[in-house]
Amino acid sequence: MFKHLFKMIWNKKKQNSLLIVEILLSFLVIFAVFTFGLNSYNNYAKPMGIDYQNVWAISYNNTLKTNNGDSLKLFYDNMVDNIKAMPKVIDAAHTSANIPFSTSHMSTGLTHNGDHIQDVNSFMVDENYPKTLNVKLLDGRWYNKTDVGSKQKVIVINNKLKERMFGKASAIGKLYNDDDGKKGVKIIGVLDDIKFNGDYQSLEYAIYNRIDTSSYRWLGKILVKVSPDANAAFESQLYKFMANNLKDSNIEIEHLTNKLTAYNKFTLVPLIILSIVAAFLIINVALGIFGVLWYNINKRRGEIGLRRAVGAPGSSVSAQLVSEAMILATLSLIVGAFFAVQFPLLNVFDLPASVYLLAMLLAVIFIYLLVLVCSLYPGKQASAILPAVALHEE
Amino acid sequence: MIKLQNIQKVYRTDTIETLALNGINLDVAKGEFLSIMGPSGCGKSTLLNIMGLLDEPSKGNISIAEQPTGKFNDKQLAKFRNQKLGFIFQSYHLIGDLQVIDNVELPLLYRDTTAKERRRLATEALEKVGLSNRIKHFPKQLSGGQRQRVAIARAIVGNPEIILADEPTGNLDSAMGNEIMEILLQLNRVDGTTIVMVTHDENMAQKTHRLVRLFDGSQVQ
Ligand SMILES: Nc1ncnc2c1ncn2[C@@H]1O[C@H](COP(=O)(O)OP(=O)(O)OP(=O)(O)O)[C@@H](O)[C@H]1O
Ligand SMILES: [Mg+2]
Repeated sequence: MFKHLFKMIWNKKKQNSLLIVEILLSFLVIFAVFTFGLNSYNNYAKPMGIDYQNVWAISYNNTLKTNNGDSLKLFYDNMVDNIKAMPKVIDAAHTSANIPFSTSHMSTGLTHNGDHIQDVNSFMVDENYPKTLNVKLLDGRWYNKTDVGSKQKVIVINNKLKERMFGKASAIGKLYNDDDGKKGVKIIGVLDDIKFNGDYQSLEYAIYNRIDTSSYRWLGKILVKVSPDANAAFESQLYKFMANNLKDSNIEIEHLTNKLTAYNKFTLVPLIILSIVAAFLIINVALGIFGVLWYNINKRRGEIGLRRAVGAPGSSVSAQLVSEAMILATLSLIVGAFFAVQFPLLNVFDLPASVYLLAMLLAVIFIYLLVLVCSLYPGKQASAILPAVALHEE
Repeated sequence: MIKLQNIQKVYRTDTIETLALNGINLDVAKGEFLSIMGPSGCGKSTLLNIMGLLDEPSKGNISIAEQPTGKFNDKQLAKFRNQKLGFIFQSYHLIGDLQVIDNVELPLLYRDTTAKERRRLATEALEKVGLSNRIKHFPKQLSGGQRQRVAIARAIVGNPEIILADEPTGNLDSAMGNEIMEILLQLNRVDGTTIVMVTHDENMAQKTHRLVRLFDGSQVQ
């Protein structure tokens, strides 16, 4: 019977090619949606890397008139120490503007063993940064007093960058050249990955520079880890403290939880739009497949009547039509899988192969279900065709 | 072989009710070659469809090969049609997307046979109708007479006890028609197949054992 169906399909290849192309296109669209969705889910499932609850971000702008780095450093170190000394404050850290979940980004590049790596996020942070955010140090050490005034430029990198550069091997003590022309930057620590772009975005490369005295002129963020009972009254106390210390500065205090919510919304918009577009496409495709099968069956009433006359039970006729649709789907999926498998092979979007393969599998199952559902009803209708009536019409 | 008792068939559409058959009683003996004649629209095809279990009568009983068929379900009907009956239609009803040999094999597809056996039986049937040299053709590449011979091969491939033929020569010229008639007569004589044939042609009807005439859904002879 299978061979017979295949012969029928082959002999009608012109009429069937339209349906095959339609199923193929829907497979590719669904494959794209699933890849995107799975990747977002994978990102979502990964740990955030930090404790962002009860972390507040103070923004300010430097209003001190002096250009002397040392006195600026003294002033701001003193200010952070005073914040740390406040009740309800657990820790505080000075950083550049690209704090977690902010839209501010700074990126650079570096070269290691002839491998030039671009799009490396560059952070300026102080010694308190890991404790304030409770981010794990995976290897080596974090910055300490011994790094002050050291001739050797040292750096802490994140785990994703470490794996890109060294794979499973240790990074500690290894050197690289940065894009600013500095040769022999020495890696002293590896910090756990942080999803600083929110829940749904992929991990990115990152390096953490120690704040140097010349940076205090333009730095503008202090992260403060507070105890869970820190309330609005304490927030205004903190605000007043900042305002008193920095005259004429614009002070703002934000909560990282709120920033995360806002950032997630921002990254979910394209996913939602894509899903809506995909849903419409799928409905379209479903109607298309349904329509073509429906049309086919009506065109083949004579054939169906004849098969019934020579001994096909109604169930066999509907099984035949559903099987034909499934064979067509299989042909489309073979072609579709050939295209889809190019993505992991050519590593088109730098996503893990497992995401593509799982998306492919899901898309295949989805298409089979779609075609099955769309062919069941026309198939059932066909089984109800009375042979005498169908043959009479011809 | 075929026993019809008081068969009535009414076609109902939204507006009209057509009494296509009215009180038909008919016995066809085993090995008999029966022909049915009558003016257009008198119910010949309807009668043949009912005999062939393609259509249900509104009233009356049918038994075929000593079996009452009234209580058969869809699967049993299909099996019965497949094993006992062969159909030949005026307009051939070949599947255009299948080659001649595959068209002939069709009834065997709904039986428990191997592909090899199907091929052997289909080739044999095509030899009987003199078409062994056309097995790879598609129906549209054949003449009307050749198509009807394919349809006959398909009807006999399963070795049925009964063949029901609805104007098998209606679309053919007389020479072609005679050839087809010869094949049917041969089947009846040699294999003992019971044949019921609808025809408009007195000459054809003369060659059969018995003639039944219908008029307006009733048997007049
Ligand atoms: N499916 C149907 N629905 C309604 N009426 C029908 C249907 N099939 C047949 N009829 C009617 O039943 C009557 C008998 O039709 P049938 O086809 O049996 O005639 P026939 O004797 O075979 O005619 P012909 O010689 O032209 O083939 C006709 O009046 C026809 O209009
Ligand atoms: Mg007729």
